[in-house]
Amino acid sequence: MKAPVESVLRTGGAIGAAVTRPVVRTVNGAAAAALDAVLRSRLSGDLVERVAASPLAGRALRGALGGPLVEALAHDLVRYRVADRLLSEELVEQTTARVLEGPELERVVHAALDSPTVERLIGSAIQSRLLDETVVRLLESDDLWLLVDEIAQSPAVTAAIAGQSASFADQVAGGVRARSRSADAWLEQRARRMLRRRPAPSAGSGSG
Amino acid sequence: MSLAAHRGQGVVRPAAAVGATEAVAPPAVYVGLVTRAIAFAVDAALVQLVAIAVAGTLALILSVVSLPDQLDGVLVVLGSVAYGLWLVGYFVVFWSVAGQTPGNRLFQIRVCRAVDGAAPGPGAAVLRFLGLILAALPLFAGFVPILLDNRRRGVHDMLAGTVVVQAPAADP
Repeated sequence: MKAPVESVLRTGGAIGAAVTRPVVRTVNGAAAAALDAVLRSRLSGDLVERVAASPLAGRALRGALGGPLVEALAHDLVRYRVADRLLSEELVEQTTARVLEGPELERVVHAALDSPTVERLIGSAIQSRLLDETVVRLLESDDLWLLVDEIAQSPAVTAAIAGQSASFADQVAGGVRARSRSADAWLEQRARRMLRRRPAPSAGSGSG
Repeated sequence: MSLAAHRGQGVVRPAAAVGATEAVAPPAVYVGLVTRAIAFAVDAALVQLVAIAVAGTLALILSVVSLPDQLDGVLVVLGSVAYGLWLVGYFVVFWSVAGQTPGNRLFQIRVCRAVDGAAPGPGAAVLRFLGLILAALPLFAGFVPILLDNRRRGVHDMLAGTVVVQAPAADP
């Protein structure tokens, strides 16, 4: 006796579901459209602005930050490895590239470099003991001297030093040449004067 | 002053201009005693340095090789001849091939024939070297004409028919 009743009930339920499903879908669509219209309306924008500007929003934010929400949020960030997932996405690379290529970073860096605070910070960093210790450690490190050796032996550096040496030798030789030619003229003048001879046809240089 | 030589002698052109037209030949500048003496001192230092290095090396080699004492005199004669040849050869080869010894090059001067400005031949170079010795023998009196001659020639230049002119290095 039970079996026919269950069968009838199941059939009735299936028919009811089949009839109500389109109705529910239509109602959901209408509700979503109504919500979109509300969200797009100027009134809702004004309302949000008013709420955000009101003391209520401030109190709510303070309450949220003072409550257990922050701890829970941090806990969930760790639990669901949000940072790892974000870093593994291309989003980070894209964002980094956009920041590096965009003019905003340059503006921010210029503003930071121009600011007296940064200047003060750099000044105090230079005068700090930390810098002295860093320099001492750097000078004691073997890697630094390996690097210096590599640079000193590089073809570009040796070529530059050779060029400097050659130009210095040229400069010295040029100076000696000029002085010896002056001495030529001076000695010749004295000899001619002593022997009461006429001066050389071209005074000084004795050019032909 | 023009290159037309004094006292009826020929014309000197810088070697680079030999064979070029008259219009592009710049006037030669004859070089005086002091510059030539310093350049010669540089050459003498070079010659002696090489001779000392070679003699020192040979002496070291001979010190470990036992030779009869009778050969000492022969070795001295051979060494002297070799030194003489090296000394003469150094100047003769450089003068006749390039017109410049290394010392001349350092001081940017050049030995050339008074007639045409070309480098002196081997014969003239040997004659010039002998003239150099002759000029030095009477207390260097043979170099005094360099102070008085219009082309700044010494006895050795007159003997070999050469002059010494400035030879500025070519721009790289």
